[in-house]
Amino acid sequence: MRASDLLGRPVLDATGRRIGLVTDLRCVKEAGPDAAWGVLRLESLVVDERQIGSRLGYDRHQRSPALLRGIMRRLHGRSTVVPWSRVAGWSRDEVRLR
Amino acid sequence: MKRVFGVALGILTAIGGFVDIGDLVANSLVGARFGLALAWATVLGVIGICLFAEMSGRVAAVSGRATFDLVRERLGPRVGLANLAASLLVTLLTFSAEVGGIALALELASSVNYLLWVPVAGLALWLVIWRVKFSVLENVAGVLGLALVVFGVALWQLHPDWSQLVQQAVSPRNPPGEGLPTYFYYAIALFGAAMTPYEVFFFSSGGVEERWSAKDIVTSRMNVFVGFPLGGLLSLAIAACAAVVLMPRQITVDTLGQVGLPVAVALGKLGLAFAILGFVAATFGAALETGLSCGYSVAQYFGWQWGKYVRPRDAARFQLVVLVCLVVAAGTVLTTIDPITVTEYSLVFSAVALPLTYLPILVIANDPDYMGARVNGRVANLLGTVFLVIILVASLAAIPLMLATRAGQ
Amino acid sequence: MTTVDIHLQLLDRQVLDRNGLLVCKVDDIELHEGPDGVPFVTAILVGPRASGPRLGGRLGRWLTALAWRLAEPPGDAPPRIPFGRVTAVHSAVDVDRTRAELAVDPLEGWVERHVIGRLPGSGHAG
Repeated sequence: MRASDLLGRPVLDATGRRIGLVTDLRCVKEAGPDAAWGVLRLESLVVDERQIGSRLGYDRHQRSPALLRGIMRRLHGRSTVVPWSRVAGWSRDEVRLR
Repeated sequence: MKRVFGVALGILTAIGGFVDIGDLVANSLVGARFGLALAWATVLGVIGICLFAEMSGRVAAVSGRATFDLVRERLGPRVGLANLAASLLVTLLTFSAEVGGIALALELASSVNYLLWVPVAGLALWLVIWRVKFSVLENVAGVLGLALVVFGVALWQLHPDWSQLVQQAVSPRNPPGEGLPTYFYYAIALFGAAMTPYEVFFFSSGGVEERWSAKDIVTSRMNVFVGFPLGGLLSLAIAACAAVVLMPRQITVDTLGQVGLPVAVALGKLGLAFAILGFVAATFGAALETGLSCGYSVAQYFGWQWGKYVRPRDAARFQLVVLVCLVVAAGTVLTTIDPITVTEYSLVFSAVALPLTYLPILVIANDPDYMGARVNGRVANLLGTVFLVIILVASLAAIPLMLATRAGQ
Repeated sequence: MTTVDIHLQLLDRQVLDRNGLLVCKVDDIELHEGPDGVPFVTAILVGPRASGPRLGGRLGRWLTALAWRLAEPPGDAPPRIPFGRVTAVHSAVDVDRTRAELAVDPLEGWVERHVIGRLPGSGHAG
């Protein structure tokens, strides 16, 4: 599968209610036999209400300038991290959780 | 000693390279119509470009990445592509204006019709891009552009009423007979002339071309904080000359010859010769910058190898893009559309496109993953945010004002 | 434990070859499910067949379809760089092969051979 298959897809919880959109795939870096740098194992999905400007980085490590941070926080609404183990299935249209 | 020479050369290049056809036309035109009442717009633009160039230079020095690399990363491929399309169009328009400027300057020097100079200029530009080393290309054009200092000399020689000039500048009021929309339209044009988007592509890509690292930040800052303001002073001198010589005689500027007229009046043929040399150097240098910037932005979006620091064979698509853009720019001038008109439009559209590149740079300059300890300080962010607002306002107002005033009639 | 966010830190980054030359962008990331059912990153995907779907909308579909047809050999698997080749992820992604060895971008070679390479002096850096 590809990262682009999941990014931007709506996420529905077990009752079918929409939680948000997949804005990122969070991986854990581990050592691996064939890998010079590391192996990335998918650990969780980052889900936000909106996708716009999510790559400017204000949800993670970017702190300045304050005006932009404020605007981005407002735009992105609630941000949730969903462990991959909670994913029951996914298709081109949506990601379903247990 | 060698270090001092290097820094001095960089500053001189920055001064002489600051002015391009947009600055020449906008400052002269506005000076003839409004006196120095719009000097504040030029000053604002100069502060803005200093801020913007310092950030993009620092980003290039610390991360080794140039502007368009970052645009795609931060805005995503979709918005990034729209950004590329818009920026490329504006840069191409500016490129055409600069090529037209070279041809007009050569026409002034030789009395040979400017259209005949276009193929000559085009070929010369391509040969320089193909063969001449990056630093040589920048420094020669920049230093020769210093000939425009003749405008400062001419202003002195004209013995203007200095107190009156200062009065105009510090109490900016639109002159009677000029509406407020026209006043602000030209303010945006002057702002767009100083804060050109291509300048940032070029400055950051140039930093990567010259293999800047963190220790070059100081040199980069000297170029920006000493060179650019002095270059801005040249722009003001051009406006002041027009204010002193053209405005009282109600001469409006629509040819390059009229831009140089005050110098001819003050210093005669020798002065005009220097002015023409300055015109040729400034437009040729700016044409090189815009042409390369077309290539930089496309290649950096797609991830292709770019730059003059590798052999042309190793950056084949980059070189092809530059060549194609050169042909398009030259072709645009050859359609006999008035280069001065093209210049005016390029300024307005530059102002519209400015937020597209400014925002990613402002964000990345604050990114600790990229910049480590060299993220923006509080002052830079305060100024940066203020200018973000100014740029957005100018960008949104530019086209409505252009339509409302019918491009400043 | 280091976490890496694919969208924020990997996608659309510049890929550099062993000599520091620019190769391509990370147009997409390929993942496979491991034996325990957890996906892990297997490759960097390159080119319009990878980035087309990410552009979205009609433009994206059109671009992807065009890329399929022009592909050599035709098919829908885009060129890939196995993730094991990655040696560092910073402001760019470093890889341990040369551009020629990676061979993910045939168009550049074509332009070099048929257009730029034909012009005199193309072998000398300016």
